[in-house]
Amino acid sequence: MSTDIAIVGIGQTRPVRRADRPLRTLAVEAVQAALDDAGLDASDIDGIITDGVIMPHTVPREFIAAQFGIERGFDGGTSFGGAGNACAPELAQLAIRGGRARTVLYYFGVDWGSRAGGPYGFHDMYPAKMAFEKPYGFNAQPTYFALWARRYMHEYGMTPDDLAAVAIAHRDNALLNPLAQNRKPLTREGYYDSRLVAEPMRVADCCLISDGVGAFIMTSLERARDLRQPPVKVLASRFASEPFTGDDIFTQQREIVRVTGAHRAMEAALAEAGITRGDIDFAELYDCFTISLLVQLEDLGFCARGEAPALVRERGIGVHGGLPVNTHGGLLAHSYLLGVEHVLEAVRQLRGQAGAAQVASAEIGLVGGWSIPDYGVLLLGRDRR
Amino acid sequence: MSDALAPEFTAFNRWLAAGELRLPWCDACRRHHWYPMPRCPHCRASDIGWRAVAGRARLYSWTEVSHRFDPRYQGPLPYIVALVEFDDAPGVRLVTNLVDTPREWLAVHLPLVADFRAAGETPPRVLFRAALTRSE
Ligand SMILES: [Zn+2]
Repeated sequence: MSTDIAIVGIGQTRPVRRADRPLRTLAVEAVQAALDDAGLDASDIDGIITDGVIMPHTVPREFIAAQFGIERGFDGGTSFGGAGNACAPELAQLAIRGGRARTVLYYFGVDWGSRAGGPYGFHDMYPAKMAFEKPYGFNAQPTYFALWARRYMHEYGMTPDDLAAVAIAHRDNALLNPLAQNRKPLTREGYYDSRLVAEPMRVADCCLISDGVGAFIMTSLERARDLRQPPVKVLASRFASEPFTGDDIFTQQREIVRVTGAHRAMEAALAEAGITRGDIDFAELYDCFTISLLVQLEDLGFCARGEAPALVRERGIGVHGGLPVNTHGGLLAHSYLLGVEHVLEAVRQLRGQAGAAQVASAEIGLVGGWSIPDYGVLLLGRDRR
Repeated sequence: MSDALAPEFTAFNRWLAAGELRLPWCDACRRHHWYPMPRCPHCRASDIGWRAVAGRARLYSWTEVSHRFDPRYQGPLPYIVALVEFDDAPGVRLVTNLVDTPREWLAVHLPLVADFRAAGETPPRVLFRAALTRSE
């Protein structure tokens, strides 16, 4: 039996650099907001999913179940971080189609804004990084992506202006979103005034650091049609990865500037949804750095290798551009909750609730989630019955 | 920082402390790989030895780091992180720091040689410098 599912409720805390309350409290608030948005009671939830690496150590599923009195009949963990956020609907769909759950809650968040070590500390879990990279000061995501950016410049003639264009487009989008963490206008001059941290990466090339949680609720499309919000249909949610680890992915791939898994996940999702790239009205992509956004546009197939800077320049990625990307401001300017905010923004767009950032006649949206070496593609659509 | 090295990691530092650069070598497919791991990533064989490389390499990419991301790293700022490829171990790339190399020389494919001045430190480090010197 093929049962379509839909996202029926979204909730989040306002992302901030340092929250004044613990992550577990933020998670409870985000989940309650998602329930309220859907018009559901916690007793309607019978399955909980979160990512399989980060949340089990911070806000485990049983904590949320206990706080809301949820009797779980289904429990799942997906990839981690970005890919986990985009692939949660894949798991929920399998559970709902398989009759294992009726209504599934997903939540994800981090307190890397206030936690000691922040995002850099996360990579302490990789033994070869600890042994052979950190002693050389190769010890943070901006340094890894600086190597990629430098190599990409060599291979394709990218210039710092191309990176600036990505940063500026994201900041412009953030100005349209009242929840965005960085709403200070960014000019080309402002970009070049921004401090170099790992050349060619400047502060303006790096995502924010945030405390916050996002949550969403999924159920069958049939049931969704009786609920409070316009249903947002899951057209496809697909995971793909390649045999690399967090240790070797940044340095040992034959061609290092490549988003592993993205192409295969995208092809699988498009085939399942029965659509083409040209049908996609907007994309919320994992923009941890300006360079990562460019490479993803290529590996997802929106343009050929080396042509992403031209796509940004000529087609435009602003809300009113040819391919609106990260309409909320992305990880670069909205918040760094590893892409759960991308799913929530895609839902708002397809409900027509994106306010000043609303993409005109948004019918189909793409969410790309990355957690190296894993990638998740989520295609969402307006319910056109 | 690296006081709990995985067992397959320790040989590299032991050789390095003795002033020698050795990389994991798979006897089955006769190829180097990096990082050290229990099974060869090319052919999955588990008979892995350590074979010396000459220490001649080329610059694959680099970044000048001017921010202290991790307080555990106490070197002076700024510093150059380089990713280098060995002439005699194709496909292996090593993360290192560049020394004695003028900033304006930095370019992909710049010839480099290993420099062992930090091999006696804890943990031992192998650095690289331009194969040519300023006067040549
Ligand atoms: Zn082998």
